[in-house]
Amino acid sequence: MREAHSIPPVRWSVRCILVAATMLGSVWAQQTSPAPAPPQPAPAKIDIIDEAGRHLTVPANVRRIVSLAPNLTETIYALGAQDRLVGVTDFCDFPPEAKQKTKVGGGVNPSVEQIVALKPDLVLAAKSMNRKETVEALEQLGIPVYGTAPVTVEDVIQSVRRIGEAIGAREAGDSLSASLRARLDALKEKLAARTPRRALFVVWVDPLITIGRQTFLADALRLAGAESVVDLPQEWPRIGLEEVVKLQPEYLIFADSHSDGADLASARARELAERPGWRGLDAVRERRIAVISDAVNRPAPRLIDAIEQLARLLHPDAFVEKTADAKEKTQSRLTPANADAMPAAYPPVSGFPFPLPAGGGI
Amino acid sequence: MIRPLTAKRLASVSGLLAALLVLVILVSLKLGAVPVSMVDLATNLGRIVIGQADHLPSEQSLIIREIRLPRILLGVIVGAALSVAGAGFQALLRNPLADPYVLGVSSGAALGAIISLVAAPRVPVAMPIAAFAGALATITAVYFLGRRGGELDSHTLLLAGIISASFLSAVIMFLMTTLSGGELRGIAFWLMGDLTSTRTPLDAGWLFLLLVLAVGAIYTTAADLNLLLTGEQEAMHLGVDVSRVKLVVYVSASLLTGLAVSISGAIGYVGLIVPHVMRLLFGSDHRMLIPASALGGAIAIVIADTLARTLVAPTELPVGAMTAMAGAPMFIYLLRRRFG
Repeated sequence: MREAHSIPPVRWSVRCILVAATMLGSVWAQQTSPAPAPPQPAPAKIDIIDEAGRHLTVPANVRRIVSLAPNLTETIYALGAQDRLVGVTDFCDFPPEAKQKTKVGGGVNPSVEQIVALKPDLVLAAKSMNRKETVEALEQLGIPVYGTAPVTVEDVIQSVRRIGEAIGAREAGDSLSASLRARLDALKEKLAARTPRRALFVVWVDPLITIGRQTFLADALRLAGAESVVDLPQEWPRIGLEEVVKLQPEYLIFADSHSDGADLASARARELAERPGWRGLDAVRERRIAVISDAVNRPAPRLIDAIEQLARLLHPDAFVEKTADAKEKTQSRLTPANADAMPAAYPPVSGFPFPLPAGGGI
Repeated sequence: MIRPLTAKRLASVSGLLAALLVLVILVSLKLGAVPVSMVDLATNLGRIVIGQADHLPSEQSLIIREIRLPRILLGVIVGAALSVAGAGFQALLRNPLADPYVLGVSSGAALGAIISLVAAPRVPVAMPIAAFAGALATITAVYFLGRRGGELDSHTLLLAGIISASFLSAVIMFLMTTLSGGELRGIAFWLMGDLTSTRTPLDAGWLFLLLVLAVGAIYTTAADLNLLLTGEQEAMHLGVDVSRVKLVVYVSASLLTGLAVSISGAIGYVGLIVPHVMRLLFGSDHRMLIPASALGGAIAIVIADTLARTLVAPTELPVGAMTAMAGAPMFIYLLRRRFG
């Protein structure tokens, strides 16, 4: 990334040599020199439009970022900009290093004072988690807030790219979003001939809450070769168990913080088989239960991992022709290199997906 | 219009309400997202009565037996418990506005239940016990706060109840904001009143037994409660063991509140409105009022919960919202018809 500010005076002699080299038309000089240009800085501020359609002005060179949602913290790490992340929420637990950052409180009720004290030049907020009041309070204090509002998986990928742009990491954003999209394309090709599985995504068992049609989760299910049996306009509809018995989904899908596949799914099946009503579901009786990483709950790059994981569970035959080598490769993508450092149990992601009475959006 | 209470009148009113409750339960069993034919309903109920189990349950019998019926029975327990607790508090405190909610007793029970969920999430029996302890502690505190110069003051008592309720709600909010255990996520729904829980703290048989014992205990004091309405001093002169009656009714009503809250969370208005409606319909003799409130409360909750799960099916409403929306206008109608 180009650094636009002026060259320290102590490097005068070096600079002279570099300028001479440039004049000689030497290519390596351009590649290794730190900004050989005359002191003509890039525009100090740029105007951007966030995903809620709000205009904001951010420094071209964002140095201090505060993230107000776990998925945004993950995105910053995925973009490699973690050194500039100065504040996170209490619920930002991935990657584990994020827990070492300064906390600004919860996503719904962060401490505006703490945020201001961190002197951020950009705050990232999520419509699904943060309140409009928080965003307005920060704006009045002159702190630009970039709001994300993804409704589809494509929106999530776009959001990754646009966050990259907003924090001055355009290249990282472009390449990351391109690679995510390529993985989805590959998946789409694999699943092209498969009939979607009729599934129920169980957000919460007691009372029973599932996903509505206007959520990125419903879209994630579609991309993984499934369709939700419940098609309601609310985001997190609370439905009667009776309705589910009537619909008889082929699969029940759960998100878990430590998903290690088969063991957890059978434990889940055993537990549900003991619950009155639930044992009447064919999916419970025949143990067609898919437990995937709770990364699926976060609109961040790891969402694509969870989609791939779900596709593999729902359509195992679509992946069999691949060699063990390819399987291993995907496996390593699912479990990050620092898997050992991952906590045994994550605290639940507060504010998601849980329609608390006090809500709001950007 | 005061009619003397006779055994015949007691039996006929109770019989009428019991028949109405059975009818409401049957209608509720029939209604829902999945249509159930009368034949299926009769067959299933017949099998349940003779204790015959289905080897391979069909979808319909599963819905009737495992989804609708357990929920209706829990509704019966909750409705009866809240209404009798309300009738007991109203008599003892000589205050028509007394009710487990107004007095903060439900909030105390809810706080107890939440603390037990945090402290001992693996012990299901802990929850009703903690709810009962919370209810009893709250009514004790409110009772002493509500006294002025040795006498129970009606205004002070209500204020003490309202302030206790808001203090306890604040503690609940504090716990919900600071703790984030897995169980606590369901609490927001539970606090709005929820009968969907497929995990009851105790077996339904035990819940019924506790309900019958507590309602029975309050019923033994029914004649004394009638005399207490004239005032504590007067009742004492008429030979009522006032402190024994108070102890029995406070403990039993707290047990009923704790029972209801541990099953369904906070369902409002039932404890206030059902005893009032019963009083308007059948008079204020507690020998009649207590069984009538128990049956009437059960009817009210079963109707409210049936509406909650069918009105906007397949989405469900919190039953607490239904009781409030249906209860208040009905109360006003009865009040105006009587005094209009």
